[in-house]
Amino acid sequence: MRYLIKNGSIIDPAQRVATVGDVLVTDGKVERLFEIADRAEEQHVLGDDVEIIDARGAVVAPGFTDLHTYLRQPGEEHKETIASGTLAAAHGGFTTVCAMPTEHPTHDTAATVRLVQELARREGHVHVDVIGALTVGREGRVLADLAELAEAGCIAFSDGDRALSDAALMRHALTYAAALGLPVMSLCQEARLSAGWAMHEGAVSTRLGLPGCPAAAEEAQIARDIALAELTGAHLHICQVSTAGGVALIRAARARGVRVTAEVSPHHLTLTDRWVLGNLAIHDPAPVASSAQRRQSNPHPELGLPSWLDPTRLPPYDPSTRVCPPLRTEEDIEALAEGLRDGTIDAIATGHSPQSRVEKECEYGLAAPGISGLETALALVLSLVHRGEMDLVDVVARLTEGPAQVLGRSPATLRPGARADIVIFDPDAAWTVDATRFVSRGQNTPLHGQRLKGQVMLTMAGGNIVFRRDGFGAPDAKPAH
Amino acid sequence: MPTSSTERARRRHVIDLDDFSSAEIEEILTTAESMKEVLSREIKQVPALRGRTIVNMFYEDSTRTRISFELAARALSANIVNFSARGSSVEKGESLVDTVRTLQALGADIVVMRHSQSGAPYLVAQHFRGSVINAGDGRHAHPTQALLDLYTMREHLGQIGGLHVLIVGDVLHSRVARSNLWGLTRMGARVTLCGPATLLGPPAYWTATWPEVTISYQLDAVLDSADVVMLLRLQKERQQAGLLPSLREYTRLYGLTPERLARLGKRVLIMHPGPMNEGVEISPEAATAPNAVIEEQATNGVAVRMALLYRLAG
Repeated sequence: MRYLIKNGSIIDPAQRVATVGDVLVTDGKVERLFEIADRAEEQHVLGDDVEIIDARGAVVAPGFTDLHTYLRQPGEEHKETIASGTLAAAHGGFTTVCAMPTEHPTHDTAATVRLVQELARREGHVHVDVIGALTVGREGRVLADLAELAEAGCIAFSDGDRALSDAALMRHALTYAAALGLPVMSLCQEARLSAGWAMHEGAVSTRLGLPGCPAAAEEAQIARDIALAELTGAHLHICQVSTAGGVALIRAARARGVRVTAEVSPHHLTLTDRWVLGNLAIHDPAPVASSAQRRQSNPHPELGLPSWLDPTRLPPYDPSTRVCPPLRTEEDIEALAEGLRDGTIDAIATGHSPQSRVEKECEYGLAAPGISGLETALALVLSLVHRGEMDLVDVVARLTEGPAQVLGRSPATLRPGARADIVIFDPDAAWTVDATRFVSRGQNTPLHGQRLKGQVMLTMAGGNIVFRRDGFGAPDAKPAH
Repeated sequence: MPTSSTERARRRHVIDLDDFSSAEIEEILTTAESMKEVLSREIKQVPALRGRTIVNMFYEDSTRTRISFELAARALSANIVNFSARGSSVEKGESLVDTVRTLQALGADIVVMRHSQSGAPYLVAQHFRGSVINAGDGRHAHPTQALLDLYTMREHLGQIGGLHVLIVGDVLHSRVARSNLWGLTRMGARVTLCGPATLLGPPAYWTATWPEVTISYQLDAVLDSADVVMLLRLQKERQQAGLLPSLREYTRLYGLTPERLARLGKRVLIMHPGPMNEGVEISPEAATAPNAVIEEQATNGVAVRMALLYRLAG
């Protein structure tokens, strides 16, 4: 099968290409990329069997890679399956997801890893890479059989959202993983400082009377892990950075040559602890008003969008705002965006954590943390572009090149011969989030009902169309060739 | 009663005092005066809420608050049912939302709830068509306690505006302190939070929401300007959790000792939400001093809760 994706705005960070043109896909691979000037040649190359996809007005980019996805299978199929999770990935423009260890059984044996790989091969809509558990049962006591996990094809090791509190064991884990040539992915929360947390510690938690997790809990553990990475020479990857102090620590470590990479989630880049307050009134308007003013200095007022997402649509203490690590402050968001811009943070990773209604329709402090993130990731991150805080090419790079660099592989690209992992998205398409229509089984998102801008139109994985929105780019919709 | 029907229609729940205006608080306190008069009669009952069903839903033990609500409901001739999480379907794993749906189906008009999790009443309010009264949730709010504190202050000192109220002790974990902060600042009182820094947290966390509040770590420095000294119960496990060096040191620095009692003017009210740790945050001498109004707080609690039930069901 051959596809010609026509007239798209092509962004391929790996080739440093940003142009308007056509992409020809043949037998699961990119055959050629034609710029406008190549049109005459294009006629010559095309045969009769080409399906034309009209991508006028849309961006054509390499498929995204998500470093941090919970697919929940095996063990918690009521929350997500490999089939539903990878379909959600396809809807979000992701052509590769890295599956974090499940809850029970976890990815701590080669057998479980092979099961996930087999299920992904049979039922997955996009490519699935498996992250092995760092410790047996993710309990933080004994190292998992890391070499066997590596042999089975694991691409990294992590205990997911369970931070490893034993510093000596973390040292051993890093040493061992380094010898295997694989990164250790660490979600940093110092155990005692974060014990019993429900949300970010600050003015909002004080007002709501919820136990807080201070930014220092993350920073202390990042500092520890960086010191251990420095000691062992291992590749440390910091998951889901959420604090300004965390960004500063990573920046300083990289500057002195420590092998540390990092990711940030779309929700930590855009939502604050204000969201936990929901529709309760703000009584000291000063901090929020100033940020609102800043948001109003939207460089694209003609777009007619609200200048910012609206947390007051939520009831107070809405468990959909409970995520790990917790939503932080405006200052943190700014530092995270700066870290993403300057490359301190390599990648955007969703931290997709689907939960069932039972885990979320309960008291805030008892709710399971997590957000169903794959299907809103792009639009959330594009809000930074629409506000002029980030460049579109950089956003695509952090969704494609960045994750590949973290994994030590060559990035998805539209270079001839590359696997045809392609996303087509319309950065200006406005839509309202309806979580009940998510293809993920997890409908847990505080964004339900919010107006976002930027929508995935078509996703191609290995040359197969795995998601296509309402006949997007179909021949009848396109002007005569 | 002085409540206008439009305002009465607006209020459906009492979850915290953050959404009360000073006028509404005044009205409730005035209504409570009439209710207190009812309670002083030989037959302490009026038919105002006859035929209404109130459920006391207590997920956390609190005998005094539960009984106070029960007496208030009975004085208004309402039916009251006590529901305790212990030994109930909750122990079998039923969720809060399921429980509320059941109470709804059984015809409850008002749910009075106590829960260990902050914010739980908001969840209940989303799933219940009647009214929710928060009788204490986690560290978040205890609005009826704050209203009875305001009532007691007004009764003794005439008005609340302009008073200097010291709230002393474990403010960080106190729902009583938070609701009092809303009520007192709304009524124009000056509030100082006083206690060990470990039981207060960073001052900016408080001033972001209550800009008027003052933080002090030295009781002796602020005691002399106080009109009201409100002592909070010190949970002894705070010391085990490492928040305090010792109870002895706490009492020396923050307890209302006989020496500090002697420094207080006769008109300075001594208040405590109870139950007291006598000898820790309050000395027996202070607890029984003529200006201690701790028992009156309990009496006023029934009147204030009657006023609220009346307002919600009226």
